[in-house]
Amino acid sequence: MPGGQIHRAPRSPNAPGPDPDGERIRRDLVANRNLIDVRTNTSVWGVFDRKRVCVSDGDASTILTAKQIILAPGAQEYVPPFPGWTLPGVMTAGGAQALLKMTGVAPGRRIVLAGSGPLLLAVAAQMAKLGHQVVSVFQAASRRSWMMLPLRAWQAPQKTLEGMKYFGTLKRTGVKMRYGRMVVSAHGDQRLTGISHAPVDASWRPDLSRTETINADALCISYGLMPRTDLFQIFGCKMRFCEMRGGWHPERDDQLRTSRRDVFAVGDGAGVSGASAAILEGKLAGNAAAHALGACSDACLEGVSRRLGRALRRVHTFGAAINQISYPRAGLLDLVTDDTIVCRCEELMWKEVRTGIEQGGTDFRTLKSATRLGMGPCQAKFCWPSASRQIARLTERAMKEVGPISVRNPIRPISLGALAKKAAVSG
Amino acid sequence: MKKTSDVLVIGAGVYGTSVAYSFAKRGCSVTLIDASKPGKATAASAGGLWAIGESVGLGCGVIFHNADEVSSTEPEPVPRLFMHLLKASNKMFAELAPELLLQTGMDIEAEVGTGLLYLLYNGRQRRHAQSILDWLGRDQALAEEWDRQRVLAHDPHITDDVLGAVHFPGDNQVNPLFLNEALKRAAINLGARFAGDTHVTDLLMADGKITGVATTQGVFCSGLVINAAGAWAAKLANMIDQDIPLVPVRGQIIGTETLQDKLKSNISTVDCYILQKAHGEVLIGSTTEMVGFDTGVNYEMLTDLARGAIRAIPALERVNIKRTWSGLRPGTPDELPVLGQSPEIANFHYATGGFRTGIVSAPLCGELVVANALGEKPRMSINPFLPRRFNGLPKLKHVKTPRSAIQPDAAPPQSV
Ligand SMILES: Cc1cc2nc3c(=O)[nH]c(=O)nc-3n(C[C@H](O)[C@H](O)[C@H](O)COP(=O)(O)OP(=O)(O)OC[C@H]3O[C@@H](n4cnc5c(N)ncnc54)[C@H](O)[C@@H]3O)c2cc1C
Repeated sequence: MPGGQIHRAPRSPNAPGPDPDGERIRRDLVANRNLIDVRTNTSVWGVFDRKRVCVSDGDASTILTAKQIILAPGAQEYVPPFPGWTLPGVMTAGGAQALLKMTGVAPGRRIVLAGSGPLLLAVAAQMAKLGHQVVSVFQAASRRSWMMLPLRAWQAPQKTLEGMKYFGTLKRTGVKMRYGRMVVSAHGDQRLTGISHAPVDASWRPDLSRTETINADALCISYGLMPRTDLFQIFGCKMRFCEMRGGWHPERDDQLRTSRRDVFAVGDGAGVSGASAAILEGKLAGNAAAHALGACSDACLEGVSRRLGRALRRVHTFGAAINQISYPRAGLLDLVTDDTIVCRCEELMWKEVRTGIEQGGTDFRTLKSATRLGMGPCQAKFCWPSASRQIARLTERAMKEVGPISVRNPIRPISLGALAKKAAVSG
Repeated sequence: MKKTSDVLVIGAGVYGTSVAYSFAKRGCSVTLIDASKPGKATAASAGGLWAIGESVGLGCGVIFHNADEVSSTEPEPVPRLFMHLLKASNKMFAELAPELLLQTGMDIEAEVGTGLLYLLYNGRQRRHAQSILDWLGRDQALAEEWDRQRVLAHDPHITDDVLGAVHFPGDNQVNPLFLNEALKRAAINLGARFAGDTHVTDLLMADGKITGVATTQGVFCSGLVINAAGAWAAKLANMIDQDIPLVPVRGQIIGTETLQDKLKSNISTVDCYILQKAHGEVLIGSTTEMVGFDTGVNYEMLTDLARGAIRAIPALERVNIKRTWSGLRPGTPDELPVLGQSPEIANFHYATGGFRTGIVSAPLCGELVVANALGEKPRMSINPFLPRRFNGLPKLKHVKTPRSAIQPDAAPPQSV
């Protein structure tokens, strides 16, 4: 369904209510059907020769090509492993929010949220407002750094106001905010029954001698988002690394063009900077692509770029201020213990991966061959972000030297039968 | 900072690690340098140990595509020397697997009794197969013809559209990634040094001898340098103006999701091969292409592989693909490995050219290279594999030709 994570369409009558912006976007698309070929329930499962785009709606595939391509793949949550994180009852805050938005269902009866960043606040406030019991919210960053935010974010009063509203709701509903603390482990036999939390220093190194434990049956984690890079990588776009933008993301010019003349990158997938930025970026890239095709004059593009560019810089500044507080610090890597699972698909424990690294597996291909890290269904999308940071730490190298995963077709599941069928070619 | 060792091995694929381990076992100080480039063959490999199937051209179906077209009376000139090398190396896995387990705790998943089944879809394929069986002397320890009933009773996943199959009972499989890693770790345990993520940028010479290598992590010195750089071996040799006719030969593979159901055998057909690894994934390979160092995959070729797999095992139709990839085999014009001393530079040795059977041949080839370098009596003569045989031989031009460069009965192998 068009609309993405923000304007996701509700699927159940219990959902918190319609989203007018999302409805408007979907209406506009329908109204312009003659100009826009909208394909729902369709995914790009592969890109061949860096230009043949294979899409599938579950059955046979179609191969598309285009003169200008805009990629808006969005982001996924960064989930650093810690002891107990694979227990049922532990989930991402984004996952819990999606569930809440679509069905109105809360993940548990005693909910703890933990991590860093504004999503925790938003989700906690939404839950509390609907009457669910949120026991505590743990923010790894200090209270002081949050207090400074309005100063840094004066350019985006709207956003600051929104944040204040969340804080207000949490205060009213009695949700405990704990700053400078991290959930260091989750406990339970079959499923989650409790969590331990401890104070952390400026680089988020926990002081485990001051651990406290509380009961909980749901733990929602959020340590920020990371761009989904698979499409960019498979199109051959140059990538760069910046912790503040969520890690690996494509290089772009002022018009949001990647290292390829015909490929644009917009939204959180191009470097995390939030929903308002994504909308502006979409407009700018749309105009630039139209310009490249001769459908928008130089003057027109210039005007649009100037206007949107200014607005974009403002929201990016706000995004940067938020990211500055919440981007994942090195101490997070201290949470893993030898028997913490670090690759969920292959059920690999940290000691196995650590040995692989110590025996020279300091690049993706070598470590993967040595340990099977990332060989499961997620194809390293979830384990490599933390594994590569561990490599960087152990080998004292920069993340850009360690490198991103290598992306291969298919980037979404496709059956052998669907591949074997003759594809239609269009576009 | 200068790092010095008795031996420098460049490339930590299965050949380089096998060589490093053999040196380390003999107490030499070894440094193993590797850049792990995209296209590294060992990381891409299927891990079939198809000593006989590959020797007679029925292992890697796509290459011998033309089992259909080959005249049914004349068997291809099959390289006996090649077969003896593979057979002897394949035998070594029975000891190597427990040895590596002991040394490193790693199980290389060397299967016993899986065997390889070459499926016969029509009469021509059967006639062709029969001529091969005759050539093998109807030795059931090597290969045996199975009728349709036996094939279907053995593994009901196989299409009932077969006439029968040729069964190669000794052609099993291994996990090539774990084999590679275990060899490396075993060498490290015996004192070898591993420099991962390190790119050799130049070979250093003085007085007609190699003195060491320059890398992205500094200079490494040694009195003996082994070129185990796989498909990049000729590039490495070129750094000191040596020329060997070795080229990258790309192979594409499809890997599926993990399946609970187990296939009973490795399978090959005229279209592709299919093998299920210990972790449950099914690998479907492979193409044989001369496209330089391009490590991409091609839609049409993958489609052909998928069709070939479904033709053999219809239930694969609904199985999801997890990943597709390609690797670069180090290919030589006579399809034999390149082992031992370079003709011009006495302390520069080769350990490469594994081509499409580099996994199965690695244990023996590693031993041969080391024995040659240290002046020991080898298990088998290294002469046919020495790089000097290339004097005047042109590069591999295209890969579908039968293996005619080798005389069927050249150089009788010594017993192992
Ligand atoms: C798709 C596919 C399937 C296969 N299936 C089978 C099979 O079933 N059974 C079988 O027996 N064989 C199989 N093979 C063949 C087998 O994989 C190869 O013959 C074998 O792996 C070659 O090993 P190698 O060590 O020579 O080369 P590689 O594994 O390629 O290793 C060479 C290493 O050298 C490094 N290197 C190169 N240049 C430099 C440099 N300048 N500095 C530092 N490092 C460098 C490379 O990065 C690489 O890591 C298959 C091959 C492919 C591609």
